[in-house]
Order: sequence, then C-alpha cells, then structure tokens
Amino acid sequence: MAAVPPSSASGGPEPPPPPLQYSLLLQHLVGEQRRPRAWDPAALGGIPSPPKSEEQKMVERAMESCAFKAALACVGGFVLGGAFGIFTAGIDTNVGFDPKDPYRTPTAKEVLKDMGQRGISYAKNFAIVGAMFSCTECVVESYRGKSDWKNSVISGCITGGAIGFRGW
Amino acid sequence: CPGLTVPCRMTQACHRKCVPPHYKEAELSKGESVCLDRCVAKYLEVHERMGKKLTELSLQDEELLKRMQQGTGTA
Repeated sequence: MAAVPPSSASGGPEPPPPPLQYSLLLQHLVGEQRRPRAWDPAALGGIPSPPKSEEQKMVERAMESCAFKAALACVGGFVLGGAFGIFTAGIDTNVGFDPKDPYRTPTAKEVLKDMGQRGISYAKNFAIVGAMFSCTECVVESYRGKSDWKNSVISGCITGGAIGFRGW
Repeated sequence: CPGLTVPCRMTQACHRKCVPPHYKEAELSKGESVCLDRCVAKYLEVHERMGKKLTELSLQDEELLKRMQQGTGTA
C-alpha cells in the first residue's frame, strides 16, 4: 500500500520525493498516534446551546431512570386509588348494617372509618399495579431500544400475569 | 455532511437507525435515548478497530513491498 516513486521521474535536478508511508499516516489518523479531538457540539450540531452542567446532567439522568418512573407511578396510583376508594365508599353503603334494624343509618364515625379503610386498600392496590406496570414498561423499552405500542402491551401482560399469580 | 467528519456521519447513521419518523413529542423517549447511547458506543468502537486493522494491513503490505524491492535490488 506504500506509494512507490514514479519510475519515469524527471531525472533532472530534483530528487524523487521519498515514498509515502501510508502506515505511519494511518497511525496518525486512526491508529495509536492520533491526537484527541475536541468535539464541540456547537460547531457540529449547528445550533449553539450552552453546555449542561454536571448537576443538571445527573438530575436529568435520575429523572429518566426506571426507578424514578416507577416511584412516580406508585405515588400517583396511591393518590388516585385513595380518591377512588373514598368515592366508592360514599356510594356503596354497606356499613353499619344491623340485621335486627335494617333501616338504621350508620353513624358518622362508622362511615368515616369505612371510607378510610376502603381508601387505603384501593390506594395500595393501585399503587402496586401502577408501579409494576411502569417499571416493566420502562425495562422492556430499555431492552428493546424502541418506543412503540408493543412495550405497553408486553408490560401489561406481565403485570396482569403477576396480579393473577397473587392468588396462587 | 461537509467534510464527512466522523461525528457528522455518526449522527446521521444513528438518527436513521434509532429515531423513527414519528414526531408525537419533542423529547427523546427512553427507548430512543438508550438506542442512541448504544449506537454511538458501537460506532466509535467499530471505527477504532477498523483503524487498527487498517494500520496493521498497511504495515504488512509495506513489509512485503520492501522485501520485494530488496529482492529485485540484490538479484
């Protein structure tokens, strides 16, 4: 691959140029002796933007992580489940039923206690389901490297199956 | 890609592979950013390995050429 000096050299006063050693050149370009390049994103991307600080990068990485997303879904599920439980406790009244006196209205303390219990129970269930779905979806998406509808379907199957196994 | 620089070609290749043309939201999703991380790492590793192999091959060629020239020179 080395270039040989042309045999039909002028033969005049100029000496033929020394053969070009491509191996040395390649080592400077792509091999061991290449110098590190500063890849300035402003020059490459074309749209100048201020460089992100290390803390900002860390915070963004934490917020994109699967654990954070699962925790967020857990908290959201808890709140939603609590509201839903309290609401259904208000509608579906079976509290304080006394067989001897079926028309007796339940006391406020009984109603509140029932609301609290149902709220907590629903909240826990929703939190668990939400966290599981979000966590599996994030893991599946990280594994596949794509974001489309299949991630949600696969993680839904896994979550549903896990819920089913709870009664095992 | 002016000058066919490595970062420019890498950006184009990885964009073609990892970012499908469905622009429902402005942010990169988790799957896409994971894919881009892997694409960049692979691209750079391939680039390095190819460079080393190229230098090795060109060294071999030069040795062979030198030996041939010496052979024809003395003979």
